[in-house]
Amino acid sequence: MSLADLPLHDMRRAASLDALCGLVAERHARGEATVLLAGGTDWVVEQELKPPRPDADPLPLVVDVSRMAELRGITATRGLLRIGAATTYLEIRRHPAVIERAPLLAAMARELGAIQIQARGTLGGNLATASPAADGVAALAAYDAAIVVKSVRGERRIPFSALQTGYKQGSRAPDEVIVAVELALPPEGSPWLWRKVGTRRAQAISKVALAGIAVRSEDRVVRFGLGMASVAPVTATLLQTRALVLSRPLSDITADALDAAVLSDIAPIDDVRSTREYRKHAAKAVVRGFLRDLGAPV
Amino acid sequence: MKITLTLNGRSREVDLPPLVRLLDALRGPLGLPGTKEGCGEGECGSCTVLLDGEPVNACLVSIGQCEGRAVTTVEGLSDATHLGPLARCFVDHGGAQCGICTPGMLISAEALLARRPDPSDEEIREAIAGNLCRCTGYQRIVDSIREAARERAGGAA
Repeated sequence: MSLADLPLHDMRRAASLDALCGLVAERHARGEATVLLAGGTDWVVEQELKPPRPDADPLPLVVDVSRMAELRGITATRGLLRIGAATTYLEIRRHPAVIERAPLLAAMARELGAIQIQARGTLGGNLATASPAADGVAALAAYDAAIVVKSVRGERRIPFSALQTGYKQGSRAPDEVIVAVELALPPEGSPWLWRKVGTRRAQAISKVALAGIAVRSEDRVVRFGLGMASVAPVTATLLQTRALVLSRPLSDITADALDAAVLSDIAPIDDVRSTREYRKHAAKAVVRGFLRDLGAPV
Repeated sequence: MKITLTLNGRSREVDLPPLVRLLDALRGPLGLPGTKEGCGEGECGSCTVLLDGEPVNACLVSIGQCEGRAVTTVEGLSDATHLGPLARCFVDHGGAQCGICTPGMLISAEALLARRPDPSDEEIREAIAGNLCRCTGYQRIVDSIREAARERAGGAA
């Protein structure tokens, strides 16, 4: 345990997002690491569990972004919801626009950790840690969210489908700061699902979690988004399952076809929290549950 | 780094490396050992304190992140010689046994009652979901918090 290393780190705050991007870029060019610290629910724990650091290893500079105004806040305009990367899950679950227009996010945030974790954890932190078990990232996948990032080269939007390239690997450049996420909201009242399978509802990392949104037009689903945690090296977007559901009337979807699509979309493993077999079973069950709610005979 | 924060209603200044854990700053230089360390990794809730009114695990917060913010610890819920009414309910209703989880439980309960003066049992259980207790089985803690809510509403002396 290298708790003793924590006080050795230097910590700063940046005056603005542009100043932050400049600082990160300069350090990156010199080969120096910078840690952007928000709630610390991942990074601080990782430091505590790390083996002692060899004396020669340089420490990263920690920049506290937890209260940087440009990374905080929630706005909803013309069907687009924007959530600042350093907005906490507690702020997300209590925000009227989230409760009304993105109830899936509110439900997810309510079951993400306990209140102490919700009060510190952020979507930006979940995205930076890039764990395939992250509940928050699974919810973003269901909305096909865009991740807004900024560097000294300017701002760009990474579509969710192009975000993750492998286990804890992604397409964000090392000097790009996660600024916000943007979600195209489905019409009010559209069906959604948040289903977390874990040892407890709160304060447990998911064995399997499913986030889903759907827009229905009579017997067809015309927009369909899924994100599943803890079933693959990256957050699973279940593209075969989405394609199946969008390709035919709900009444023509069979349980066998749905199960086969789900199994082709996931690659779960045995680990400390669950087994490959149970995760396959749970993944099929939660997707069937959502489709049943939508009216499919599965 | 010099850090100024409001601690239990009083302005305090400490000079510490910024990534010292709030938990260690409280128990050491700030002289408030009521906040307990359990797991040290944000799981058990023993070290729960209020940061600007919201419950957080003091083991995951850096003292440098507390500049200009308000921190409330269990000591802030009672005065030096008398238990506060919430703590008194825990004593009277068996909500405190070995005592390690109790400071964190009291802080989580305080945060709940500040927002929801008349919480349901489900709301109480959700509010303390991040506080592990290995003694009570939780029911007596739920009873203690419900009673504290009733007293605050003027239901008892």
